[in-house]
Amino acid sequence: MMYDPRYAWVRQLLAFVVLLLLWEAAGYAGMLNPLYMPTPTQIWGALAELFGSGRIWPHMEATFTAALVGLALGIVVGIALGVLAALIPPVAELLEPVMLLLNAIPRVILAPLFVIWFGIGLGSKVALAFILVSVVIFFTVFTGIRQVDKKLVERIITLGGKRMDLLRQVYLPSVAAWVLGNLKVAVGFAFTGAVVGEFVAASRGLGYLLSFAQSTYNASLMMALVLLIMAVVLIIFALAGRLEKRLLRWS
Amino acid sequence: MRLQQPLAGKVEAEFPQADIGILFQDDALLPWRTARENVALGLIFRGMDKRRAHESADEWLARFGLSGFEDRYPRRLSGGQRKRVAIAQAMALKPKLLLMDEPFASLDAIVRARISQEVVELVEREKISVLLVTHDLEEAIALSDAVYLLSQGPRARVIQRYDVPLSRPRDLVRAKTHPAFAPLLQSLWSDLSREVDMSARAERERVAA
Repeated sequence: MMYDPRYAWVRQLLAFVVLLLLWEAAGYAGMLNPLYMPTPTQIWGALAELFGSGRIWPHMEATFTAALVGLALGIVVGIALGVLAALIPPVAELLEPVMLLLNAIPRVILAPLFVIWFGIGLGSKVALAFILVSVVIFFTVFTGIRQVDKKLVERIITLGGKRMDLLRQVYLPSVAAWVLGNLKVAVGFAFTGAVVGEFVAASRGLGYLLSFAQSTYNASLMMALVLLIMAVVLIIFALAGRLEKRLLRWS
Repeated sequence: MRLQQPLAGKVEAEFPQADIGILFQDDALLPWRTARENVALGLIFRGMDKRRAHESADEWLARFGLSGFEDRYPRRLSGGQRKRVAIAQAMALKPKLLLMDEPFASLDAIVRARISQEVVELVEREKISVLLVTHDLEEAIALSDAVYLLSQGPRARVIQRYDVPLSRPRDLVRAKTHPAFAPLLQSLWSDLSREVDMSARAERERVAA
């Protein structure tokens, strides 16, 4: 058969199916210990049970709420602090070292601290998602505003634009572009924060289910949850990508 | 224009600052605004309502042969089209004086020739004064009524003024075949060379000392 690069997806799908079949066959042949490595059908069974019984929904709701609230707060606060720091040098002096520190460390290590501060409920998960998102957005906006094309600023001034015109015509669209450009990263961080927070201490959520599955040595539930979280984030990525494409159609 | 504070002296003009239009080397259009919105910007800054400003923008785009491109973003326009939008943007404000800093330098030769001709015709029709800065001597003579030769910067000063005896309206290609064109180009070129040599020598002496 001739090699045709257009059908890459066919070959990829084929390889994936073959792999699944081999995996399944190895399980049936007794080559895999089901305690560590469940077969694809067992994972599928665990997924079907989660949705069939409906017991997944409260967990999904908890994770989504924490991630989306943290995302929204993180974006709003990140933009506000980024704009303030870019426009007012003394604010930048104070904020930049803190943000650099927060940016340098793996922020999920704050999870246990947040549990003490905000309890095992929604608060600690929102806080973790928030801190992950806001630092990224802060740097996006902060460096973005300082790198605004000076030629555009000059152009607006020579056309008779005032400070408000500069803000509306140059700075706000630039900020929007940078934030949207980093929206996928922010979404990923928001879910990381929510799930890790739940993993550390919670009574609900996908992260909590994951830690429950771990403590009961339920490998098929764990793999089902990993797949589920991957699917959820991919769907949100796709939505964020479409939003970005729509709002940044000029680029 | 509030772009830079003068170190000394002042600029006098017989008309308000709002009557001065500026064209830079870069087209500097807002990438997130369509051709129409870009042209309308200055009008809106001056308080014209959006609908009328857009109508006026469409007329200016049409005059530069850009009908049908009103809704395009700059990214989807060619270099020549973007330059035309930038010129329309400056012209829409009906300036009395247009300051141009090598406005055509970034264009390829053919587009450059066509846009220069369009601008000359527009300037002649609208009776606009233009102050053009260029390194291209032929362009300087073909477009201008008077050419001022400046010394090397910093602290550039006027070395010499040359009157261009070409009539208007002007065809830029035919202008170059005018009998006065070549001698003028020659004297501009020799004066310029002498200036460049002199400042190079001065630079060497400064370094030696």
